[in-house]
Order: sequence, then structure tokens, then C-alpha cells
Amino acid sequence: MKTRLRVAILMTPPTLTLLALFVIPLVVMALFSFRAGTFGAQRDIFTFEHYRAYLDNTVYHNLLLRSAWVALETALYSVLLAFPVAYYLAFHAGSKRFSLLTLLLVPAWTSYLLRVLAWKIMLSSGGVFNAALLALGLVEEAKPILLYTRGAVIITLVYVWIPFVALPIYSALQRIDPSLLEAAADLGSPPWRTFLKVTLPLSLPGVLAGFFIVFIPTLGEWVTPMLVGGVSGSMYGNVIQDQFVRALNWPVGSLMSLVMLGFVLLFLLLFSRIGRLSDLAGV
Amino acid sequence: MKIHALIRALGLSFVALGVFVSACAPAPTASAPTTEAAMPEVGTPEVQATQPLAAPATGGPLTVLEWSGYELPEFWQPFAEQYPDVEVDFSFFADDAEAIAKLQTGFDVDVIHPCYSWVGQYVEADLIQPIDTSRLKNWSGIIPELAELGQYDGKQYFIPWDWGYETTIVRTDKVQEVPDSYLDLWDPQYAGHVSVYDAPESIWVVTALALGLDPYSTTPEQQQQIKQKMIELKPNLLNYWTDYSEIVQLIAGGDVWVASNAWNDAYVLLQEEGIPVEYTTPKEGRLGYVCGYVLSSTAENVDLAYAYIDAAIAPQSMANLSNLYGYGAANRDALPLTDPEVVAALELDNADIISRTYFYKPIDAAMRDLISGIWSEVKAAP
Repeated sequence: MKTRLRVAILMTPPTLTLLALFVIPLVVMALFSFRAGTFGAQRDIFTFEHYRAYLDNTVYHNLLLRSAWVALETALYSVLLAFPVAYYLAFHAGSKRFSLLTLLLVPAWTSYLLRVLAWKIMLSSGGVFNAALLALGLVEEAKPILLYTRGAVIITLVYVWIPFVALPIYSALQRIDPSLLEAAADLGSPPWRTFLKVTLPLSLPGVLAGFFIVFIPTLGEWVTPMLVGGVSGSMYGNVIQDQFVRALNWPVGSLMSLVMLGFVLLFLLLFSRIGRLSDLAGV
Repeated sequence: MKIHALIRALGLSFVALGVFVSACAPAPTASAPTTEAAMPEVGTPEVQATQPLAAPATGGPLTVLEWSGYELPEFWQPFAEQYPDVEVDFSFFADDAEAIAKLQTGFDVDVIHPCYSWVGQYVEADLIQPIDTSRLKNWSGIIPELAELGQYDGKQYFIPWDWGYETTIVRTDKVQEVPDSYLDLWDPQYAGHVSVYDAPESIWVVTALALGLDPYSTTPEQQQQIKQKMIELKPNLLNYWTDYSEIVQLIAGGDVWVASNAWNDAYVLLQEEGIPVEYTTPKEGRLGYVCGYVLSSTAENVDLAYAYIDAAIAPQSMANLSNLYGYGAANRDALPLTDPEVVAALELDNADIISRTYFYKPIDAAMRDLISGIWSEVKAAP
């Protein structure tokens, strides 16, 4: 009884918060997607028209797929770049581990917007990348080659995400029992095989967690594409933002958000077959 | 908040006269308005002392839904003099859609500052009430063409205040030939160096005019034609610009050579920086916008609202707008008080400038939905 009461007391605040700030708004959003208009009399008319129009319009489906591809690439590169960092921290940093970890996280303490704008300057025609290319004679005139492309969106996002991906991988690596590695070495396994057969499989939960930490928010990203994506880098999130803020078309904006939510859930289900969800939660 | 502090400081200056003014002066951004605005007020307490009936406090606070940056006391100073005890609460919006959204979701205000092309939607949704212009003593100076814009069903709903251009800025040192039509935005010689304003209405009007169509009266086929044309523009674009500082930087940095829908102040600023730019007049005409004041249908302080609007269209308030921000004033009487350089740069003294400008027209909610939908699809297209 006593434990039950304690559990109930502990669970109440998060449950209420989730209910008030997540579940109810989600239901409101779902209801809104059936409304004919945002305000006035139109608001009270319920219709399936938006869904029909949305399903007919392949432009948005393609955009969602392209955004998913951007998110996939971003997550993949983030994991690939963060893994060596996490590996070094876990196995080779020794006593410097804590200071290095702090250094890794320091950029995350500054404003996200500031970091995106910094990349905007670096990728611009007057930035370091162009200066280097000009000096090497690879380009003839100063042009923002990288800025305002999908590539710029991926570069910026990968940079922003690396610390957040490194953390779960680091914690997974740290939990590997050193005796397993020693045993592998004793039995004559070369380091690369130990890595492939022992370290990597045991770090997979951390890798998958890192992957999803990036993939899910990136799919709905709109700030970075707006600032550095230009014409070709527009993502699904930008269109959703436009629907709410510019077009004042809340029903269609809600519908598109719901579609994206469903899409993410689909991915999660798909990936949960590779690594069990409980493993992710266990990190 | 800054403004509240400022008003309070001004109120106190009645007692302490100049002492507080100098105390407030170091406050960031508020320093200039404080000293300037306080100067004439030094005289008012004496008037009040001899004529106690002159300025009775009558309720308030007056709430104004305003673009940020327009809350400066220079723009409504006569009101502060007439009602020194009435607080003015400013609430801000970043674009017209946001203002409509705020009002539609039950935000009560007295005065709103929308742009003209949105006023129809305010009337349609019953958000505003007609204004009796005989209660505005500065009304006589308003440019008739602009005044006429604000009428719906023969009633004046909209008091024009600021107007300005939206046209193409060109880096004359970067291009071989300066574009003379909106159609030139599609010219491949500018490929990768064109930027257009990320606003459905602006891009719609520019594209329709480039195609020789009337933006405000299109058939469904023409709408598809406009959409197709918008998609065809994408390879020529560097980006869609979203805010003023962004486009100024892009032009100054030399990445953008041809920028559509740029405002007067962008041109004024670039010129001051010594960057070779031309503020073009395409053969379809420069685009123009007018913004102004409307009276909320739920206004609780109607008398104060009238006094505020009247103070805003006073010649000195309007001249302050032109001098500080470089926008056109709706009141002709402001011209003699305006900095000659600003007048020259914007051709404000040109008698037919208003009639030569292609002003945005009001569009209803259905048309706005259509344009926004098309623009979203254009952006989503690969």
C-alpha cells in the first residue's frame, strides 16, 4: 500500500503535465484538422475536405520524404562523427575525461540561433570556406557555394547535434565491462575484431538512442532550413510553420503536423525491430 | 515595458522638470525619445496650472496593437500632452497575420495598426468599427487617394498613416544591365543572385504583373500559370529573404544582385553605406503599401482612441516618421517639416507619385487562402 501511494504521488505531477501540455493539445490539434477554417463561422464546420486535398497533393508527400532523407543523413553523419569522440572519452581520455566532456558541451550552452548564424557567416561568400577555396584556386569568384543549399542545412545540424549524440554513445561505451575486452585480447583477438565483435554491438543501444535524438527533431526542423536552407533546403517543418503563421490556416497546419507525427511513429516502429525500444529507454 | 517606464518618467518630469530627463538619458534606446519628447512638455505644466480643465485624465489605459518600433512617443506626442495621466499599453505583432490571429482569438484592444490589404478581412470578420473623421482635426491634411482606400460601403474604416514602396533593388556594379521589368527576375543572367521576399501576397503580385495579368482578378487557369511561373523562378534564386536586416546584408555582401520587394529604408541604408545600388522603377510600376490605424469594434476607450489616432496623424508626428524611418507620411502637411534629403530620396514632393505607384489592394480571406496555398506548394516543390 505504502509503495503504491508513493508511486502515485511521484507519478501525478508528470502525468498531469503530460496530459495538460501534450495529450490534450494533441487532441485539440487533431480536432482542428477537421475544421473548415481557422476563425469565425468556418471554424464550426467539420469537414474531411482538407484530408482529401492533402492526400491528392503529391507535392507535400514528396517534401516529407525529402525531409526524412535530410533527417536520416543528418542523424547518420552525427552518429559517425560522434562515435570516435565518445570512444576516445570512454577509453582513452583518462583523468581528463570530465574536462573534455565539459568542453564538448560548452557550445551547447550558447544560443542555438547564434550557432546557426555563425555557420551562415562561415558558409557565406566572404566566409572561411570560400576564402580557402579561392586561395586554392578551386573557384574563381566568391560565391556562396554551400550556403542556401540542403547541404548547408545538414552541415549546420550535424554540428549542432554532435554533443547530444556523443553523450548516449559515451554512456553506453562506459558501461562495457573492461574484463570483456581483456578476455577478447587474451584469447588472441586483434583490436579491430574486438571492436567489431564486442565494443560495437554493446554500444548499439547508445548509437540508436543518439540516432533518434537527432532524427526525430530534425524531421520537423524549420529554423535551420529557414536561415541557411535557401530555396532548395526548405523542409516539411517550414511549410507547417507557414500554414500556422503566414497563411493562418490552422486546420491544414494541424493536419500536416499529425501526418508528420504518424510518419515518425512509423519510423520508430520500423527501427524498434532492429533494436528493441526498451533498449533505447534503458540508456 | 520600456515604453511604460518612459511614460512614467515623463509624468514624473512634470514634478522634477528637467532633472528626471537627464536621469533617464543613459537608458538604452530610450535616451533620444526621452529628451526630445520631454522638451515641449516642460511648458505644459504651466498651461495646466493656469487652466486646470485643460487635460482631465479620462480612464484608460489605452491599448494599441502595434508593429514593434512604432511605439516611439515621437509618433503620438500630442496625445501624451493632452492626456498625461493616461497610460498607453502597446502590444506588438511581427506581421499582419499575427495581428489578425491575436484579435480573432479574443485579444481586446482599442487601436490597431494593420496594413491596407488586410483591412477588408478586419471588416469582414467584424473586428473593427467605422471612424467618424469629423472627430479628427488633422484629417484635412490626409492625401485624398490614400483616404479613399480606407472606405468600405461608403464608411471610413481605416485612417492611412504610413506608406512606402516595395520594389527591386539592384547592385549596379554587379549586373550588366539593370532590370526594367518584374519579368527580369527570371532572366538567367542574374542566376543565383536573385532574392525575393518570402510573403505570399508580394510574390503573387510580382509574378502576376510580370506575366501581364491583373493580380486581383485571375481565372483558375491564370492562377495555375502564376504558380508555374513561381516554380520556374526557383533556379534563379539564391534564397527567399524574410527580414529587412537579412536582405540588406545580402545586398551589401554582394551575394544578392537583384532583390525584389525591398522597402525604402533598405535603399536609404545601403546608399548611406556607399554601396552602389539603384532603387528601380519597373515598367509595371513600383509596388506600394499603406498602413494605418483602425478602431477595434470592442474598443473600451473610444474617445481616447480618437485622440490617439488624431495625435498620430498630426503633421509633426508624421514628419517624425519620415525623418526617423524614411517612410512616406499620409498627411501632406507633414511635408514642410520633413528633412529635404528624405523628401528627395523618396520623391515625396512628386505630385503624382501616389498615382504612379501600384498599391496592394485588399484581398478577402478566401483569396488569401488561395494565394498562401499556392505559395506553400511552390516552396514545397523540388
